[in-house]
Amino acid sequence: MAQNITPKLSTLQIEKFDYRAVYAKCGRARYISHLDFMRSMQRIIKRSKLPVWHTQGFNPHVYLMFPLALPLGTDSRVEIMDFALTQKLDNETVRKQLDEKCPEGIEIISVAQPVHKHTDIKSADYEIRFTSNIGAGECIRRFGEFMQLEKIEIEKRTKKKTVNLVDIKPYINVTEINEQDGWVVLKLCLPCGNDFNLNTNVVLDAFCERYGIEIEQICTQRTKILLGNGENFT
Amino acid sequence: MQSMKERIERLLLKVQKPARYIGGEVGSIIKDKSKVDVRFAFCFPDTYDVGMSHLGMKILYGLKNQRENWWCERCFMPETDFEALLRENNIPLYALESLDPLSEFDFVGFTLQYELSYNNVLEMLDLAGIPVLAAERDDSMPIVIGGGPCVCNPEPLADFFDIFIIGEGEEVNIELLELYENMKHNGCTKLEFLKEAVKIEGIYVPQFYDVSYNEDGTVKAITPNIENAPAKVRKRVIADFDNVYYPDAFVVPFTQIVHDRAVVEVLRGCIRGCRFCQAGFIYRPFREKSIETIKNETKCLCEQTGYEEVSLSSLSTSDHTKINELLSSLVDYTDGEKINLALPSLRVDTFSDELLEKIASVRKSGLTFAPEAGTQKLRDVINKNLTEDEILRTCKTAFEGGYATVKLYFMLGLPEETFDDVAGIAELAQKVVDLYFEVPKQMRGKGLQVSISTATFVPKPFTPFEFEPQDTPEQILEKQAHLLRNVTSKKIRVSTHMQKNSILEAVLARGDRRLGKVIYTAWKKGCYLDGWDEHFKFDKWMEAFEECGTDTAFYANRRRSYDEVFPWSHLDYLVSHEFFVRENKKAHAIQTTRNCKEGCSGCGIKKEYGGVYCGAKHNT
Repeated sequence: MAQNITPKLSTLQIEKFDYRAVYAKCGRARYISHLDFMRSMQRIIKRSKLPVWHTQGFNPHVYLMFPLALPLGTDSRVEIMDFALTQKLDNETVRKQLDEKCPEGIEIISVAQPVHKHTDIKSADYEIRFTSNIGAGECIRRFGEFMQLEKIEIEKRTKKKTVNLVDIKPYINVTEINEQDGWVVLKLCLPCGNDFNLNTNVVLDAFCERYGIEIEQICTQRTKILLGNGENFT
Repeated sequence: MQSMKERIERLLLKVQKPARYIGGEVGSIIKDKSKVDVRFAFCFPDTYDVGMSHLGMKILYGLKNQRENWWCERCFMPETDFEALLRENNIPLYALESLDPLSEFDFVGFTLQYELSYNNVLEMLDLAGIPVLAAERDDSMPIVIGGGPCVCNPEPLADFFDIFIIGEGEEVNIELLELYENMKHNGCTKLEFLKEAVKIEGIYVPQFYDVSYNEDGTVKAITPNIENAPAKVRKRVIADFDNVYYPDAFVVPFTQIVHDRAVVEVLRGCIRGCRFCQAGFIYRPFREKSIETIKNETKCLCEQTGYEEVSLSSLSTSDHTKINELLSSLVDYTDGEKINLALPSLRVDTFSDELLEKIASVRKSGLTFAPEAGTQKLRDVINKNLTEDEILRTCKTAFEGGYATVKLYFMLGLPEETFDDVAGIAELAQKVVDLYFEVPKQMRGKGLQVSISTATFVPKPFTPFEFEPQDTPEQILEKQAHLLRNVTSKKIRVSTHMQKNSILEAVLARGDRRLGKVIYTAWKKGCYLDGWDEHFKFDKWMEAFEECGTDTAFYANRRRSYDEVFPWSHLDYLVSHEFFVRENKKAHAIQTTRNCKEGCSGCGIKKEYGGVYCGAKHNT
């Protein structure tokens, strides 16, 4: 890089108003990976023509923060996204303007000012509905057995590319399991956030592998994002 | 019964980047099919990531969908993981908007951008349950049409297509679909339709032409076998380019594609006449859009898509007659909106300080130059009117501006090339390296890297080199080795193109109808996605050539005489045969030809086609 480099907006001190949106990502949008989704959301914001706040560095870009990634294939109506505007606008106006530019499957449910910090997120609730090659009743019985195991160890790759064995049993919190029209309905509460993340796929893969079960159809939904005290993150 | 959507969704979580297979992107157009009269599936015979980057598709998609009762949809070649699942679950290849199988469409249209995508056409048709051979498709099947640059010699694909569209598509597509709509209401057969269609300029129906061959295997004659088919099919040109349709919306993909940005076409055609370059001749004449038009289209697209980058597209953007004014006015807008302005296709000789500053104010990435040949002699042979001084001066400007990465593109196997010319590539790169170290340390960027990339020259139809043989694989290997021997600096990195791809490309580019059998045989042996190194099966292709009793040398390595009838001789791309012969002779005499801006050289294109520099007097 040569000399004389100055940030483009160095002379401007722009006011920043924080907003937090709750959005839905389901249907066709469930197949968008988190990385792609972030890019899509940036474009939604650009299209909305909101007076959006840009980062003030050498390459100004739309300021956008996601506390949690939603795994590919999982639906949710409780996802969180933080952004900022250069003007104070009415929350509902902001919501509407963004929502109008969303493609099928993405929806802006509400916009408000942030209350909690991202680091306050400790767990999330999930509802998993699936069919398998062994029938719902049998599957539920096996899952009961699975949860009686002393340890459920899975392989987890570390950053140093070695493989660690992690016991996930203590982290799996089953809140409900039953059968509905031949489908297994499984409700789980799993840790997420900065400290430890457990993906529903990891739990189900461990279960299926152990009992040689093949899942045929599966719908996974994140239903709540929770604080350490069990209250909703807002 | 499960819907197509449910059946597809069951498979999506098992494949890489599933968002490519389910549609629903911003800008994709959904219509009520009960109110639609003509359905067109626009197919790109490669994967979504590649195909979604293609500008022509965006233009024709928007254009056709302007009509309320026409519905144009998109379709791409699935990756092998998803393709296997589709076959396993008996799901026919479908279009991304309606998710309906291609067989339900009136038209299935393919754009043919490069030769190695030909077999994907067969694979896609088959995956859709449509017979690949035109002769085996009855009236219940869609009409299969092809367009794009490769259609300037469509003969190897003649067996598989019903119609080829020659030249630019914006007008002829409308005319063709209008004719179809009328005839469909009257209950006409496919044959009746095709017989009417050939009356439209630019429409080529291969089954209406007979090809005879000489004893030596060359083409003897290509003659129409029905009354209405013209002896020469002339390409279509948009004369009023400033007012041509341009989409005000793009489909914005969810997944990252190769060119993930808004694109505005600033000019079409090229004034340069580099003798190896097919695009430089088949897109003639040179026409450009006004600053006002370009600005409006840029603004409109950026607002609709929300893209953070816009790119100006053309064969040589700096040849726009008002380039500086254009960039100033665009930078004003893009800077204000915090959008990156990307300028590919800049020529070395026009790369002024001022221009550099404008790009630098946007973003500092690497520089890419295409000198194409290592010595002045060889650059004169190919009419790349670019001197070493110009290259070095530009590199100096760039280094002083803080750039430290330079990519240099060359070709090996050009006509008149000697080992000295090959060594010249290494010498030129070395001079660029030396130049970098001459620039004061505080000015230049850190970590110099000069990359040399060499491709193998493929002679193409409708160029002055259409008569030339391609170097044999042995010759190319020797030249590659010679180049590597001459590179001494560690700052220079050399990469070479896969030789086997180039052979097949050369064969298909100048092939005749008899190659249809080879393509079919190779496809049956599992050859497709040939553009992807990991899927390219050269040995299977060679087996196919052998089984069909042909060899590659006849097509690739044979010098053609000036009076030989070519497989594409019945197509008229407006540039005259005499001009190509003249240019070929000048190449061998190491004489350059001036560009259109400097004065007309009489390529044969008439003024009426709207060329900016056409119509002036020329001396030959």
